[in-house]
Amino acid sequence: MKNIVIGQFVPGSGFFYKLDPRTKIVSIVFLMVALFLLENITQLLIAFSVSVVLLIIGRLSIIRIIKGLKPIFILLIFTFLFQILFNQEGTLLVNQSMSLSYSSIASIVAITVLWRYLAHFKRFNFLLLLAWIAGIYLILSYFHYGPTFAPFSFKVYEKGVEMSIFVVIRLLIIITLSTVLTITTKPTDLTQGLEKLLRPMKVIGMNSEDFALIISISLRYIPTILDEANKIMLAQASRGADFSEGKLKDKVKQVISLLVPMFIIAFKRSEDLADAMESRNFIPGKPRTRIYELKFNFSDLMTSLFTAACFALSIVLKVI
Amino acid sequence: MGIHFREVSHEYASYQVGDYQAINKITLSIEDENEFICLVGHTGSGKSTLAQHMNALIFPTEGEVEINGKIITKKRDKKTNYNLLRKHVGLVFQFPEYQLFEETVEKDIMFGPLNFKISFEEAKAKAVEAIHLVGLNESYLKRNPFNLSGGEKKRVSIAGILAMDPDILVLDEPTSGLDPFGKRQLMELFKNIQKETKKTIVIITHDMDLVYEFANRVIVLNDGDLVYDGNEEDLFKKEELTKWALGLPETIKVLRRLKDQFHLDINPYQKTVDQAYEELKKVMTK
Ligand SMILES: Nc1ncnc2c1ncn2[C@@H]1O[C@H](COP(=O)(O)OP(=O)(O)OP(=O)(O)O)[C@@H](O)[C@H]1O
Ligand SMILES: [Mg+2]
Repeated sequence: MKNIVIGQFVPGSGFFYKLDPRTKIVSIVFLMVALFLLENITQLLIAFSVSVVLLIIGRLSIIRIIKGLKPIFILLIFTFLFQILFNQEGTLLVNQSMSLSYSSIASIVAITVLWRYLAHFKRFNFLLLLAWIAGIYLILSYFHYGPTFAPFSFKVYEKGVEMSIFVVIRLLIIITLSTVLTITTKPTDLTQGLEKLLRPMKVIGMNSEDFALIISISLRYIPTILDEANKIMLAQASRGADFSEGKLKDKVKQVISLLVPMFIIAFKRSEDLADAMESRNFIPGKPRTRIYELKFNFSDLMTSLFTAACFALSIVLKVI
Repeated sequence: MGIHFREVSHEYASYQVGDYQAINKITLSIEDENEFICLVGHTGSGKSTLAQHMNALIFPTEGEVEINGKIITKKRDKKTNYNLLRKHVGLVFQFPEYQLFEETVEKDIMFGPLNFKISFEEAKAKAVEAIHLVGLNESYLKRNPFNLSGGEKKRVSIAGILAMDPDILVLDEPTSGLDPFGKRQLMELFKNIQKETKKTIVIITHDMDLVYEFANRVIVLNDGDLVYDGNEEDLFKKEELTKWALGLPETIKVLRRLKDQFHLDINPYQKTVDQAYEELKKVMTK
């Protein structure tokens, strides 16, 4: 669970760490809008290389970001396949007639089993997946002995390929940008930035300070609660609660054995926290000062200019 | 059969501080009868991590642990029933809050035995037996575990494991948060259990007086390394004690001081106050 990078601050130093969180939040919003204004793949590829350059400027490890992408790899693959299969515009690139037969069904089962078996060795997982997909493609097209049935044709259009690459790259850029934000900004800074940005909302009756406090406390406690849940699970497993098997009735009991301590510990923690805050003179609703005030400096200016330029450029490109 | 560690390391994966090796290449054997082991070491030295390997709650990232003939390695083996190992080795956690959840103490103690498919009646009998073992009376059985004091909660959580009747009992800091009398009482209790049932007992503690008086084997961890495994007598004669952030038992401290101050010819290695007194009396009357 701890390996998920999205939404996690990683301590470090570098250009993006020194920026004011407000600058980062606003810039990211504008850059994303700009990204959605782009229309063709060349522009998008340029945008992609720009974001890689940004990573290098910020001295963020690209490997680390790629590792963080792992959980959404499936999403990327699905987006890709979906576009390629269902977009039917432009010229026809591939037209492969396919059909099912007993031999092909049997061999699909066989290579699936082989794939799952090899996947146990953990390495080259992704290559194996590709090999499996390629295998299915070949089997469906050519590997037939005996009668065939349910014929269909597998068609790929130019526009489909283009769109699928387009969508995937756009998704990649979005994720990279937001990962840069969350990796380089402490949750507390992030909420402080949000608080300042949302201050004008007071007009419609939303108190941004309370809002920011709630968010920052929740964020602060997510890892703690996860840790605690893990410990409770171990403690109950030690008493023979086996969460993987058992009848439904046993299962219910085991889930209760997790939930009750979780809630009790969470309530206890929140009480303690409230006491600790009050004993340090926190009064809800009263204005508070900060130890670190946010400052807008030269790098923020540069970043804002860069964002403005990107935004303007994408509007110009869109209009032309 | 017992528990055998072979070059066991465990590395916690943590994104924020990087990976952290909590124990390094630990090799050690624990028989399943007649041992009374104290596991000591400074805060964060890896004691709890080591203890959690003893009933396969966590898996080594390197090396292997053999529990009751079953080999535990990095990889989960679908054929092994890890749950049975936990009946063989009972582990009581450091904080009772993590395990108490039922509305009565009795039901809570019965949770463990029932998980191992023991009949309801039998589990009930075990609960009565276990509550007596930890020095509480039967009136506690009907009480709500959340309204107990810290020390009572601790005892109930220990009873919850005792009721499972494990061959090896591992206790993570069972005496923390108890009053001095309660600590001693609990240690006497473990000693008695060990004498009567011949079970092996492993206790994690920071209290050197108790270690000296009760243990017949001490294992010392320092920064994740096993630095000492032997009897309690030799441990406190070691020079490295301070390096391992361990202190001396009070009796040794006092007697050594007296010995140095008044140039007495005494043996400072006495386990209890009574023994120390006898030793002093012997010298004084001379
Ligand atoms: N779930 C975890 N994730 C990351 N690191 C951990 C985790 N659990 C423990 N550690 C680290 O491993 C090291 C050993 O922890 P462990 O709990 O085994 O120490 P201990 O000897 O039991 O200490 P104490 O006397 O305070 O109970 C510590 O430095 C701790 O920070
Ligand atoms: Mg511990």
